[in-house]
Amino acid sequence: MLSPEAESLHREAREAIAACAGEDALAAVERAYLGKNGAVGRMLAAIKDVPPAERPRRGQEANALKERIGTALAARRAELEAARLERERRAVDFDPSLPGRPLLAGSLHPVTQVTRELEDIFASMGYSILDGPEVELDYYNFAALNIPADHPAREMFDTFWCDRDEHLLLRTHTSPVQMRALERLTPPFRAIVPGRCFRNETVDASHEHTFHQMEGLVVGEGITLGHLIGTMKTFLRELFQREPEVRLRPGYFPFVEPGLELDARCPFCTAGCSVCKGSTWIELCPCGMVHPTVLRYGHVDPARYTGFAFGLGLSRLVMLRFGIDDIRHLMSGDLRFLEQF
Amino acid sequence: MLISYRWLQRHVDLAGITPREVAEDLTIHTAEVEGLARFAPWLDDVVVGRVVAHGRHPDADRLSVNRVDVGGGECLSIVCGAPNVGQGQTVAVARAGTMLPTGEDGSLVKLKKGRVRGQESQGMICSVRELQLGDEHAGIWVLDTAAPLGTPIARALGLEDWVVEIDNKSLTNRPDLWGHRGIAGEIAAIHGRPLRPLEFALPAADSPAHYPVRVETASCFRYLGLPIDGVANGPSPDWLRVLLLAVGQRPIDLLVDLSNFVMLDLGQPNHLFDRDRLSPAGIEVRDARPGETMATLDGIERRFSSADMLICSGGAPVAIAGVMGGEAARVEASTTRLLLEVASFHPTTVRRTSARLGLRTDASTRFEKYLDPTLPALAAAHLVAILRAIQPQVAFPQALGDAGDWTDPSRTIDLRPDRVREVLGAAIPDAEIARILASLGFGVARGALWRIEVPAARATKDIAIEEDLIEEVGRMYGYGRLPVQRIRADVEPPPREHRRLLVRRLEDRLSGAARFHQAMTHSFQSDALLAALRLASLPHVEVVNPVVAGYSKVRRSIVPSLLGVLAENRRHRAEIRLYEIGKGYLPEGTDERGQPGERHEIGLVWAAPRLDPGAHFDAPCFARLRGVVEDLVAHAGAEAPRWRRTAPGEAPPWAHPGKTVLAESPGSAGPLALVGELEPGLHGAIGLAGELDCQVAAGLVSIDLLLAHPRRAGAYRPLPRFPGVKLDVALALPVDVPAGDAAAAIEAAGKGLVQAIELFDVYRGETLGAGRKSLAYHVLLQSPERTLTDADAARFLARLERGAAELGGELRRD
Repeated sequence: MLSPEAESLHREAREAIAACAGEDALAAVERAYLGKNGAVGRMLAAIKDVPPAERPRRGQEANALKERIGTALAARRAELEAARLERERRAVDFDPSLPGRPLLAGSLHPVTQVTRELEDIFASMGYSILDGPEVELDYYNFAALNIPADHPAREMFDTFWCDRDEHLLLRTHTSPVQMRALERLTPPFRAIVPGRCFRNETVDASHEHTFHQMEGLVVGEGITLGHLIGTMKTFLRELFQREPEVRLRPGYFPFVEPGLELDARCPFCTAGCSVCKGSTWIELCPCGMVHPTVLRYGHVDPARYTGFAFGLGLSRLVMLRFGIDDIRHLMSGDLRFLEQF
Repeated sequence: MLISYRWLQRHVDLAGITPREVAEDLTIHTAEVEGLARFAPWLDDVVVGRVVAHGRHPDADRLSVNRVDVGGGECLSIVCGAPNVGQGQTVAVARAGTMLPTGEDGSLVKLKKGRVRGQESQGMICSVRELQLGDEHAGIWVLDTAAPLGTPIARALGLEDWVVEIDNKSLTNRPDLWGHRGIAGEIAAIHGRPLRPLEFALPAADSPAHYPVRVETASCFRYLGLPIDGVANGPSPDWLRVLLLAVGQRPIDLLVDLSNFVMLDLGQPNHLFDRDRLSPAGIEVRDARPGETMATLDGIERRFSSADMLICSGGAPVAIAGVMGGEAARVEASTTRLLLEVASFHPTTVRRTSARLGLRTDASTRFEKYLDPTLPALAAAHLVAILRAIQPQVAFPQALGDAGDWTDPSRTIDLRPDRVREVLGAAIPDAEIARILASLGFGVARGALWRIEVPAARATKDIAIEEDLIEEVGRMYGYGRLPVQRIRADVEPPPREHRRLLVRRLEDRLSGAARFHQAMTHSFQSDALLAALRLASLPHVEVVNPVVAGYSKVRRSIVPSLLGVLAENRRHRAEIRLYEIGKGYLPEGTDERGQPGERHEIGLVWAAPRLDPGAHFDAPCFARLRGVVEDLVAHAGAEAPRWRRTAPGEAPPWAHPGKTVLAESPGSAGPLALVGELEPGLHGAIGLAGELDCQVAAGLVSIDLLLAHPRRAGAYRPLPRFPGVKLDVALALPVDVPAGDAAAAIEAAGKGLVQAIELFDVYRGETLGAGRKSLAYHVLLQSPERTLTDADAARFLARLERGAAELGGELRRD
């Protein structure tokens, strides 16, 4: 039971608490009653002035009062906090139709993206990834690939020559790395070589003097044309994630014998379109069994080892993959193009 | 090369084989087919008609108005300007709406219905030229046919044909396929049909004396000369004209057409001279004398070197061997006495001459493939046989002159049928291998080791070793039929390619966290760009045959290429962050084999609108790009290099001489990394003027040096167990004191307690005094052993005060 004075103080405090509309007011009320010099504090301080017999009762009363006011404060605080949260939940000035702030991202060139995809597929099949120079010696680009000087096949390559003696050139294909691989690696081995190649062509929507290829070379005992076909089908299935429809036909490249062209069914049409020039097939990959002369140049015994090689048109694959209709974009350095990838 | 379906039928029975099947068969078994087209498709729409009424146009003297019956009860009213139209004539009629090759360069144009001087015209009575069947245009084409009115003239006149276009490149190794006979041979082999025999006998000459031919050069294997008299040159018979038209050859006159026909039929070039214009002493074949000249058939005077081979008569050149005939002894309409030349020349000599003169002809294209030296005799007999069928009166005053030092290239190659199966990976039976080879004209002698006779036509170039025969079996069997095999191998990871792994890591960092876009640009840098960037005087690898003039230099460094694309990008984007990873080539680094030095680098550019004066940092693009480059080096796992300002003359010409910094790798030439602001005088030169003007920073990182740079030890540091003390300190320093020295001073003052330093403000202003700058840092002091106190902070500041003094500055107390 509280004394009438205490009871009146309690009522007074509760009214003050109920009137509080925010934390600042609550804090002031808390100070006024429970602070060092607050009303309850003063009650406690006055205890020493009452007779000792009455002191315990007065002490209990003060503590009871402190606890009740404290409870009321906490309850009011919780109430106000709940009201504040409720206001926050309701008072939303929010337009759900607005898009998010765009992420300022960078980009990887589409040729890099497709190159990586191919590298990953072949690396998972145990292929090494090799590299070779873009300014290349005639020996590696032609002579060691069974294309000696004055061979009419040289006409097929539209070469950029770096000297009048036809000694130094910009590589016309990634095939020179075949010979570099034969010099460096010991059979059996499997290797791919992605890279930049050059042909002296007039540039238009479907021709570039600079393009990307990926060479493949496998040398070992008992390697057959069937292995080449199996490898190409596996790779295409991995790349396109479906069983590929391919066509194999003869093709002439002096560094392979037999030489083949691998075509894939045009992904853009069923009856012929501008991409496949009406044929429904897309030339993807010249390939074949490594010519014994090439193996010999690389100091590999053709009686013991056979091998196959292929030259994937990387730029072509990039265009197919992304539906790019103009090859010139690839080397343009135009942000409007690059940002899309 | 164009191949006519009708023409093929002269050599092989194609009954039951459609033109499309021919094209597909050739694709799958022989060579690349680029297209299949109907010959003169408009001939299917132009029909046989008869002029049933003919009268003068009421308002034009030169025009007539005709009624033309085109069958099916349809009669057209046609206004015609030709002088030779007459009632009762059978004519070729195109109705309005028909597509005719009357446009420029023979393009198809729709024939319009119209009124000519007030008279309606519902079609056209065609001339030969209007149908692209010849040059005659003096009048309409009066037909000689009994076909019913309304029949398409393609059918009525037997002009139906299909044309297969074969990619010449895919025939590079097949000198035997440069004529219809060779292609027919492939079709015959594919379908197991026989080739029709060819006439192979020359008629006896009036005199047994041989026509005088002397071969004085090793570049001529064989030269046949046959005199022919009593020729009456004139238009060719229709069958010949139509076949030539089908394969895109314009008929000229009998002699020219006949020569072309034999080349396109057998693949053997040949030449007809007017013998009246040759010396009676005959022909000599010799190397040209340096400086010797002759006018070729195209009327151009050509000058020769000793590497060229000439056909001469009486000492004077009359033709370039294997390339083109001379103007002087060309056949004319009046020619009656001929010399037929059929020869076999060295492929390299022909190729070089043709390349040097820029004169590629049907003949040179064939000779450079290495033609069979036994073929000229067959070709001569073939030409003569056709000529005699057309003009039986021709006479042969002298026997064939046949000179030269040549051998029959036919040879025998050993073949192991097991090897065929091994290489192809298919169990093709012996009998099938033998059948395929025999169908292609190879002689097959089976035994333990098979002996394969290679006919001369295949032996000059293409078939030399066992693998070549394996290819023959493979392609005729069909590559698509070979069973798919999987490689079986020991499972082992391929060796790691550290360079490629590093490049990938850096690409990911740049395109990811750094928000850069990866570009690829050409390896060529234009003379204009190099001049603009003051790089033109540096040595460059150069191509001798650029695509366009002024675009021949192969880049030494990536950066100029990126600077070159800034202006175009600035038209569309305010801010540009680009990088490219690629190779540069240095002629001065050429090795003993002749290979130029190579450097593999990352080029970077960052361009953005210029900042307002008074903006916080004075060179944000520069500072940010430097941050990116510093991060790249760290991200590569390399030890932090020491950065310094470039010495005078050390910055690349494109870089601001005072605002360029570089990092070096111990013991290596050239910078590991370099970042600079664009030289202020170059903005306009690279197109960044006016609205496009902007601030530009560029930089590079050497992949080569980064790979060789010392590795940084493990990146992990234990997490702190005790709270640290955060302090902000500002050092006022002379402007030329590098920020790295200030950071080092802070580091030293911390005595091992400095956990993090971050530069957050750079200030220069009057309150500091001239030539001074203030660098403000957040510093975190932290100990792994204890909680630091105010006393630790005070000692740090005291030491830093001394450190700042040693740098010529002071610790600022504001």
